[in-house]
Amino acid sequence: MRSTTSHAAGSGAARFRQFLRNYGWAYAFIAVPVLLFLVFTLYPVGWAFVISFQKYGILKSTWVGFDNYTYMFKDDVFWKSMRNTVIFTIGTVPVNILISFGLAFLIFQLKQRAQTFFKAVLYLPTVASGVTLSIVWIAIFDPTPSGMLNRLLIQLGLDPVIWLGQKSTALFSLMLMSWLGSHGSGIILYLAAMGGIPKSLYEAADIDHASGWKKFSRITWPLLKPTTLYLLVTGVITSFQVFISVYLMTQGGPDFATTTIAYLIYQTAFNFNQFGLASAQAFVLAAVIVIVSVLQFKFFSTDIEY
Amino acid sequence: MARVEFKNIVKVYEDEKRGSFTAVKGSSFVIEDREFVVFVGPSGCGKTTSLRMIAGLERQTSGDIRIGERVVNDLHPKDRDIAMVFQDYALYPHMTIAENLSFGLRNLKRPKDEIERKVKEASSILGLGDMLSRKPRELSGGQRQRVAVGRAIVRDPQVFLFDEPLSNLDAKLRIQMRVELAELHKRLGATIVYVTHDQVEAMTLGERIVVMNEGEIQQIASPTELYNKPNNMFVAGFIGSPAMNFIDARIGGGQALLAGGTAFPLPEAAARALGAYEGKPIVLGVRPEHIYGEAMAPDRAGSAKLEAHVQVVEQLGAESLVYFRVGERMVTARVHPELPVALGARQTFVLDAAKLHWFDPQTEQRIVF
Ligand SMILES: Nc1ncnc2c1ncn2[C@@H]1O[C@H](COP(=O)(O)OP(=O)(O)O)[C@@H](O)[C@H]1O
Ligand SMILES: [Mg+2]
Repeated sequence: MRSTTSHAAGSGAARFRQFLRNYGWAYAFIAVPVLLFLVFTLYPVGWAFVISFQKYGILKSTWVGFDNYTYMFKDDVFWKSMRNTVIFTIGTVPVNILISFGLAFLIFQLKQRAQTFFKAVLYLPTVASGVTLSIVWIAIFDPTPSGMLNRLLIQLGLDPVIWLGQKSTALFSLMLMSWLGSHGSGIILYLAAMGGIPKSLYEAADIDHASGWKKFSRITWPLLKPTTLYLLVTGVITSFQVFISVYLMTQGGPDFATTTIAYLIYQTAFNFNQFGLASAQAFVLAAVIVIVSVLQFKFFSTDIEY
Repeated sequence: MARVEFKNIVKVYEDEKRGSFTAVKGSSFVIEDREFVVFVGPSGCGKTTSLRMIAGLERQTSGDIRIGERVVNDLHPKDRDIAMVFQDYALYPHMTIAENLSFGLRNLKRPKDEIERKVKEASSILGLGDMLSRKPRELSGGQRQRVAVGRAIVRDPQVFLFDEPLSNLDAKLRIQMRVELAELHKRLGATIVYVTHDQVEAMTLGERIVVMNEGEIQQIASPTELYNKPNNMFVAGFIGSPAMNFIDARIGGGQALLAGGTAFPLPEAAARALGAYEGKPIVLGVRPEHIYGEAMAPDRAGSAKLEAHVQVVEQLGAESLVYFRVGERMVTARVHPELPVALGARQTFVLDAAKLHWFDPQTEQRIVF
């Protein structure tokens, strides 16, 4: 940086030129992402906040104050979809974390080459699009006796099930799809974290008379807590926004049994053209996610370093 | 407390890339009860491997290991009644210091008051009293090191194993901890096996030292014996700092003919013993502290003189290191700081005749007489 003190009496324009010469490029580079963020994130969010207080129309919008919010909180479907979302989240996120952890734990025992193989194979579904997966699962959940899952049931001597078509099993079916779905990133993260635990800790534990279970429960599991917390928070956030499988497989039905908040917002906006109400719903969803995430950090956060 | 015995211990590692690699090539030794023994040698010579075999963290390929009266070949580490301090300390990062210290006892389901008493005891010995509720990351390197030692003390084992415990500390702390460890040994009266690559640490701590190189034991002896009577050129060069000088020489007519043309008469005993090397190459070993400037040589030094051009002088305050060339080899002399030396000048040095070592250049063994 060049000194500008000798130009203290110089004109403002001269100083501005000097400033541009020193920092111009830095600001130019920062400007690109900042502008993108402003135009495509901050502006729409701000705008959505505004229209959540409006009865929104393409040509004409009218202010309605908190009407959208009060309507939403009195709406049975909103509460139903909130409940569905919470059930789905509680039913999938912890289970998925345990499955990822279990698979990672098994893979970790293998030789390097076998590890690479399983990591690749189990990561593949993560790369596949949710649309593709949903289409495959529609075939699996085919309600006729020739559906894949039903054939398995019949083999076992059980009756076929209308998986997605009845209230009692529709949400469960979506959860099943999640359990058996992609654990790729969870596995990769857990494996990396497991590899990061120094071997000498286990050797010290061996000398310290720790049993296999003690080593697992007192060393491995607590030291993986940061990873678990990360998967929990991101898992809950993703799960609160579950949409693609609902949209493609059940359209929220039957009788709102699988309507999640994200799907409700979509419907409100694009099926019923209630953009103001949809925005209000979206803000409530965002608030819930923030609150839940903060609580998770509060209760599960750790300060591990090794 | 107990003795530790290695009998023809061989350790072969099967490595995917390197194939099989013999890290320890037939080690035998006895560490007596309550003895402080140091394994020393350059990096990769098999010190850690040997220690880990005592601990049971590594299974020897062949040979027998005894701790006390028991053969422990196939015993799990927890059943060997040993405690180990790891190079990286291996403290459990998520547990407090108190939990770290008591983990072993809790696994043994010892009564609560006993655990508490032992943790208190160990923490007062090591000055950890007010840190018991902290986590390892809140401690300095030296404090962590103490916790690692404390975890071993609490266990009250037959044998303590230390793997380079001071290597992560700065120089000043290292010296302080060295003193503390020596005191701790006296206080506990325990058998201690201590691994280091630092010969100064080995010399100051060890009652006996096992010098290793490339998986083979070179010599087992007390520090003074290693210094005065090294078995071979490796031990001679490894123990002592600056390292012993080696000078190519020949024996002829009762004289030593050094590379570069200097000759001096041999003392009688040496002349007799080295008679077999008449006309053959031989290596003269002399420590830097046994070379004097002519002006300041003590009378007893004798008449082993050599002349050389001084190439470098390092003033260290209490002493000076003078470097000069004899034949192909660079020689270091550790001389009195007030000895007048001029760079590039030809100067006469005196070798202390009573402190000369002679080595067979083929076998590298010291010629004993
Ligand atoms: N688990 C292992 N697999 C293969 N080779 C090993 C293993 N552990 C140590 N070695 C090799 O054995 C030799 C001795 O190692 P080590 O005992 O750790 O040496 P030191 O502690 O003396 O530095 C080294 O060459 C090292 O690379
Ligand atoms: Mg080592």
